Amino acid sequence: MDAPQNLEYFPTLSEDGRKMLEFLREHPAAPIYRNQSGNRLLAEEVESLRHFEREVRAAKVGWPCNGLPDWLEDFVATTWQEVPYYRALGSQPRRFADIPTVRRADLAADIARFVPDSVAIDRLINFRTTGTSGNPLLIASHPLVAGRYLAFHKRALARFGIELKHGRGQVGVVLLGVQKKCFTYVSVTPLMDESGLAKINLHPDDWRQPDDRVTYLEALAPEVIAGDPISFAEILNLPVKLQSRALLSVGMMLSAGLRAKLEERFACPVLDLYSLNEVGPVGVFDVAAGGHVLLQNRLFIEILDPEGQPVATGERGEITLTGGFNFCLPLLRYRTGDYAALAFGSDAPVLIGLAGRQPVRFRTTNGDWINNIDVTHALKPLPLAQYGLHQNADSSLVLRLGHNSLAQAEAAHGLLKPLFGDLQLQVEAITGEDKILQYTSDLEHGAKSTTSFRCRDSRGYGVP
Amino acid sequence: MERPGPQLEHLTHRLAETPPDFLDEPKIGNTGTVFVPALVNDLLYRLGGRAPADVLERFRGREAKADRNRLSLSMIAVWLLADEWFAGEPFAQADVLRVLDETASELAAATPARKFVEDPDRREELARVALSRLGLRPAGETEAQATDRLSALSGTERRRLLEASRAAEARARAIREALIKKQAEESADKWTRE
Repeated sequence: MDAPQNLEYFPTLSEDGRKMLEFLREHPAAPIYRNQSGNRLLAEEVESLRHFEREVRAAKVGWPCNGLPDWLEDFVATTWQEVPYYRALGSQPRRFADIPTVRRADLAADIARFVPDSVAIDRLINFRTTGTSGNPLLIASHPLVAGRYLAFHKRALARFGIELKHGRGQVGVVLLGVQKKCFTYVSVTPLMDESGLAKINLHPDDWRQPDDRVTYLEALAPEVIAGDPISFAEILNLPVKLQSRALLSVGMMLSAGLRAKLEERFACPVLDLYSLNEVGPVGVFDVAAGGHVLLQNRLFIEILDPEGQPVATGERGEITLTGGFNFCLPLLRYRTGDYAALAFGSDAPVLIGLAGRQPVRFRTTNGDWINNIDVTHALKPLPLAQYGLHQNADSSLVLRLGHNSLAQAEAAHGLLKPLFGDLQLQVEAITGEDKILQYTSDLEHGAKSTTSFRCRDSRGYGVP
Repeated sequence: MERPGPQLEHLTHRLAETPPDFLDEPKIGNTGTVFVPALVNDLLYRLGGRAPADVLERFRGREAKADRNRLSLSMIAVWLLADEWFAGEPFAQADVLRVLDETASELAAATPARKFVEDPDRREELARVALSRLGLRPAGETEAQATDRLSALSGTERRRLLEASRAAEARARAIREALIKKQAEESADKWTRE
């Protein structure tokens, strides 16, 4: 990468930071990095992030039971005034509970309508969901928003007694993926004195030698490893020796069994974060609290029934969000499609029995297992508004398509064939559902998606 | 506009004093509190008739995006036409329904309903449009004066709304384009990826 490019991706890069990037890219065992990205933070934004981090660290998270947080009124008024989607609904309702809820489908229909008038367009970035929990969605964001994630990670880590230490000349975090096609890059984190960041793909295709994965990870010696349950399951297969201080799991439900294995193997806490592209890290699982303890001081959570009415405290319903730190996407009563009960813990509200994303693997003709993200990538070229894939117990597949996508069935079949081989594939139309479970499997070893699961909680808050 | 109606100031004052009940949330599905078909039916009864059930169906809210603002304005229009001045007038029910339904929908398409209570120009516009649709003109004005004033008021507002709508569409398009540029697609790093 030349100097002008460095300036674009890393506006505040120092000589030490440049050396770190060089180390990450040019290590003899480094993977083939497929992409470029960076922190993109301007000097004044780094300063504002320091302030933000202090504020998040000191903030009390929560609101009165059966009440509303004190910041909510101003937030709703500003959002209603500045966001075209809400303005188009008419005058701002006088009661918070009368604000119409929005869903993922509303965001997917036209994300531009949710971006406030005051947001400058020139530095917009996007985050795309992988489609593991619903259908692909493009989220409007900003480098400052991406930088703010770390404040909530630090708050979550502090709950488990961990203060991050790695700085200049060290690697702060390695983000793991394991997909046939994965967005990979290196970066540095200005708020951690330019500690290194590497987003890597454990799939052997991204490495010169499969053994390089172990050599490289050990050379990086990251303080934190981030990934999802599938990539963590993969790293367990590698004879890698690391002294990382924490593992951060996001994106899918982490089973108690896998967490235990990871904790035993890496001798450090494994934090299961409930995090959404739409609003960032929402909560961190804490067995002592009985669920996912909320992390954000300006995120209000309601639990709603199917009719959109708040349920009684302690009852299960759909997690519905207002607020958040993404100033490009301020949300009012956003129904996530995830389910839990809300309890008021001693220091912050807690989501009990969270039912959300579960990894799903599919078996191919030759008996190999592939990740559902590979299916997402394979079908990406097609303009599918909504689809689902189910694998029957006999390994045959059912591709579910929205009515307006049925014409794409043959093309979809063609794109899935290289992944699955000659497995029988039947096409069905999706009828009358807002959000379907995108990936499901009847096979014993495929993680079966269900609408609820037993909470990994020793105190018996579990959902039958 | 062939017949003289009430004083314009009387109507705009009435709009400014719209009671909170008429500014409450229209019932849409399971949200909101005011069942607008019942409100409309009460007004029609007050004006000397009842509407068939199928006509009132138009005032039943089904979806916030499509119905909330127009029904909110229908409620305000009900309050306006519930003024005593209108009680003795021989209106055709179809004309009254036109004000409550079509006129409310047209005006609500781009303006929040509460503006027709809070903003003096919009109060005047609603009062004048309602009178015009009922074949009335403000007391003390000639037909030509009433027509001129209404078209000036509505014309200015329509132009303003058209410009605002064009600007909003241009910005939405610019955002959509910005979000799929290389720089946006490359995003920025964060310590976890959902």
